Amino acid sequence: MSNVLVELSNAMAAAAEKAGASTVLVNARRRMSASGIAYAADLILTADHVVEQEEGMTVTLPDGSMLGAKLAGRDPGSDLALLRLERPAAKPAEMTPDARIGQLVLALGRPSTEGIEASLGVVSAVGGPVRTPRGMLDRYIRTDTTPYPGFSGGPLVDAEGRVAGLNTSGFGRGTALTIPASLAWKVAAQLAEHGSVQRGYLGIRSQGVEISEAAQKALKREQAAGLVVVSVESGSPAETGGMMVGDILVGLDHQPTQDHDELFVRLSGDAVGKSIPVEILRGGQPQTLKVKVGVRP
Amino acid sequence: MKLMPLFDSALDDLLARIRGVLVIVRDGRRGKGAGVLAGDGLVLTNNHVAGGGRSLQVTLEDGSSHQARVLRRNPGADLALLQIPANGHPAAVFSTREPRPGEMVFAFGHPWGQPNVLTGGVLSAVTTARSRGGELPILRSDVQLAPGNSGGPLLNAAGEVLGLNTMIYGGDQSMAIPASVIREFLAEARKTMPRPPVPEDVL
Repeated sequence: MSNVLVELSNAMAAAAEKAGASTVLVNARRRMSASGIAYAADLILTADHVVEQEEGMTVTLPDGSMLGAKLAGRDPGSDLALLRLERPAAKPAEMTPDARIGQLVLALGRPSTEGIEASLGVVSAVGGPVRTPRGMLDRYIRTDTTPYPGFSGGPLVDAEGRVAGLNTSGFGRGTALTIPASLAWKVAAQLAEHGSVQRGYLGIRSQGVEISEAAQKALKREQAAGLVVVSVESGSPAETGGMMVGDILVGLDHQPTQDHDELFVRLSGDAVGKSIPVEILRGGQPQTLKVKVGVRP
Repeated sequence: MKLMPLFDSALDDLLARIRGVLVIVRDGRRGKGAGVLAGDGLVLTNNHVAGGGRSLQVTLEDGSSHQARVLRRNPGADLALLQIPANGHPAAVFSTREPRPGEMVFAFGHPWGQPNVLTGGVLSAVTTARSRGGELPILRSDVQLAPGNSGGPLLNAAGEVLGLNTMIYGGDQSMAIPASVIREFLAEARKTMPRPPVPEDVL
């Protein structure tokens, strides 16, 4: 018999099957295996905290074949690691950058060779940036799916079997978070190319300050806080670009910077190597400098 | 028609179809468990719900209570088959399809003594568990179970019995004995039954 329940049920099982074909078992720690997502035929994206050993790692594909794997790169700050398979044999996952609150999702994992495992939920929250034990996560998704043992590194899947994120319980406090696919894929691309995530570097030390109403008027927007520059390292991108002690940094690349978290996020990823507009208040008046963002040593 | 109201009415239909096959099993001293009508006055439940087997009472959906006796047990798979004199009641359909992780499942039972409660989730894994009888096939799901769900059905979206809810593992994983094991258990029980149950109205 067929009705909307059966159709929905079949669609969910099909979504699990589709994404399951790109969900692998990762053996990179002693006691418990974890899950991973095929980013490319030879690249597996997983959670950084499940990679406890770099020697003798193996990845088991959905068809049961076990392959050796080497670390291609890792980014503890976002709890992501990229493994390179000994030969291209995985089926790359289809990714979706969308996650809407209330959306139906499945958390998938392959904690054992017995097969794929699934748990149902909805997207509870989308937020960020958030501080993590070892850095900062630009954006996150929270769901009410059940994070079964061995699910870290596995995908959060939408109703069409596309990967909306990577699930991890590596941020502690007993909670599981999902790293949005758009962010995870960006990090993976950098890990594949550089082996690490390049973070932007200006070469300033700064402190949070309030911005006076007069200065906000001059700035032509409501922004209650900025970052006052307390030192500029010699030879740094900031110095080359003309930044001075006492400048109040209020924006970077057309986005406001009210605190260190925002500055950190604006400097991550794509900013490296680019000349970007740096908006400051100097003597209460807004100015825009051009600074070529360096790589944080 | 909009999808959400369709979903609601499909859920109502499912509930209407399965309501009659769920029973309450009491063993006098201990609390309530659940059971599933399997035809011919047979009631399938967990061995641990059947307990000592004395003064077992089965309450049907129409409120009538019946004395039950234990016909057969499989402690390794935690299955027990009870016999009640009542007849002509609906019987559960046991799924013959291969369970698929991610498919929708519903648990029907009496959690914390609350009668006829439906909880939903998905089938998490088709796996095995170690039991007294050796390796046992198991269905794991993320549906909410509580004491009182034991012996009740785990249903698929079509209202067929995928398994019999048995225990809660690690606080958040529900275990069910798959229909394949149940069908085998029923077949063996039927083979060794001393005589076919005589319908009440013939006596």
